[in-house]
Amino acid sequence: MITILEQLAEGQRELSGALVAAALTPVDTPTDPNRLRSFYNFSNAAQISTSIRNYLNQACGRVKIPKQELNAWIDLFSAYWKVIGELLKFEESPTRASWVQVFDNWRDLANLLIRGYSNFGFENWTISCLYVVGKYLRIFASKADAEASAQISVAFYQEDAGTDFGKSAKTEEAARVLNRMFTLCLNDRAPLEASRKWGVYYMTNLLFKTYFKINAVGLSKNLLRALSAQAKELPDLEDFPKSHIVAFKYFVGVIYFLDENYGEAEEHLAYAWQLCHRDATKNRELILTYLVPCHLVNTHTLPNKRLLSQSPRLEALFRSLCDCIRKGDLHGFDTAMTASEEEFVRRRIYLPLERGRDIALRNLFRKVFIAGGFEETKDGQTPIRRTRIPVAEFAAALRIGTHADSRTRIDIDEVECLLSNLIYKGLMKGYIARERGMIVLSKGGTAFPGTGV
Amino acid sequence: MSNTQSEDKKAEASQQPQQQKPTVLEEDDEFEDFPVDDWPENETEQASGSTANGNNVHLWEESWDDDDAAEDFSKQLKEELKKVDTSR
Repeated sequence: MITILEQLAEGQRELSGALVAAALTPVDTPTDPNRLRSFYNFSNAAQISTSIRNYLNQACGRVKIPKQELNAWIDLFSAYWKVIGELLKFEESPTRASWVQVFDNWRDLANLLIRGYSNFGFENWTISCLYVVGKYLRIFASKADAEASAQISVAFYQEDAGTDFGKSAKTEEAARVLNRMFTLCLNDRAPLEASRKWGVYYMTNLLFKTYFKINAVGLSKNLLRALSAQAKELPDLEDFPKSHIVAFKYFVGVIYFLDENYGEAEEHLAYAWQLCHRDATKNRELILTYLVPCHLVNTHTLPNKRLLSQSPRLEALFRSLCDCIRKGDLHGFDTAMTASEEEFVRRRIYLPLERGRDIALRNLFRKVFIAGGFEETKDGQTPIRRTRIPVAEFAAALRIGTHADSRTRIDIDEVECLLSNLIYKGLMKGYIARERGMIVLSKGGTAFPGTGV
Repeated sequence: MSNTQSEDKKAEASQQPQQQKPTVLEEDDEFEDFPVDDWPENETEQASGSTANGNNVHLWEESWDDDDAAEDFSKQLKEELKKVDTSR
């Protein structure tokens, strides 16, 4: 029993893209641990085409596949057979096995597949084949690059020069092939119900991942431009499978995020969050990793405890920082930033999180305002908070917030500077009456906008 | 005496973040393929969280007020102000 060929034949009979794509998935499965081997042993290099042809003629004799198209499928699966030979070497004779070989052969297969669509009439129901071939192209490229760079570092162990060059040569090559697949989907002129346009976001996501990997995030913008130029011809976003859309929105959000455009970033990330599958733990974490800093910058609001407590990773990432911001603990904030600096930088969230210090300071000064209590009022009037506060009180609060010891001096000038900064940023409303050493805050629940007082 | 105590506290404080350093993080922080292509509305995050209101307000802290802490802070602030006065 040769599962791969059965899946191919049944897929063609039933017009099931999922089955043909399953056939093209180059892995053994728990239920079929000999999946690859049985296909490889089915024939040899000289006869594989003929063998596949005979098999298909028998298995789908009654289904008429146009001759050219049939030939293209046979070529495709012959190329597939070759890749599997390369893959099996890792078990048989590991010294002769090579991911570079696997990649090169898989790239040839990818090109045959592209030609199948552009020249030989592969139909859009088989589009999952593009997904699986694109997916493994990226995987094999990354293994090939890792293999090549391991060999280089052995060969030129002490040489410093050119360490970066060619480090991701295969991944870059993969990106070019994936780009052709993307174009193949985007520019399909067939009516929507039979169009490859349905594959465009999946391919975009694969390219995004690839560009992120080779640190070429800038190239992602070309894709976004191409997509928006075709926006009118594409189906509505909501009509695509959610897995395509959630990933797409996540990547677009991250692209804006890296541009420090946190407003746009939050919109896309929030969209991704809302549609994300609730059991997709890791993806939910990744979305929140960027959504939380965005929200902090945009609305000066923290995630609530329940949200963080759902995930140990998010707890570790954000908990102490959020607690310090909430309490106005500047010293704790600085300590938390330093402690996780490496992690924050690696995830590229350091910059927006750093802005949380202003919020911590705002909360500290807000506590001074609350501690100030209310003005004496005549009977029957609603109490009004004390809005004239000596700068010295803010200075004292700053000593508390920074855990200043008795030797540390805090200048009034410095405090005034911090206060005017917060006022300038709209986090506080009021003015400094210098000659009296007072802050005069806005009345009527607007002294600290958005915080209820 | 009070000095050594505060020293101890500092030592504690500087050790804490190290303990909290993220445990092992996977090398690969890539967005994963979803196990299924598509899913119904009621399996989305939106559906599971929106019991009270349609938007995702439930994600974020809505109030900055903490009455217990406010009283403590008030005391702390008074003490700090006294310290400044006496040192003058």
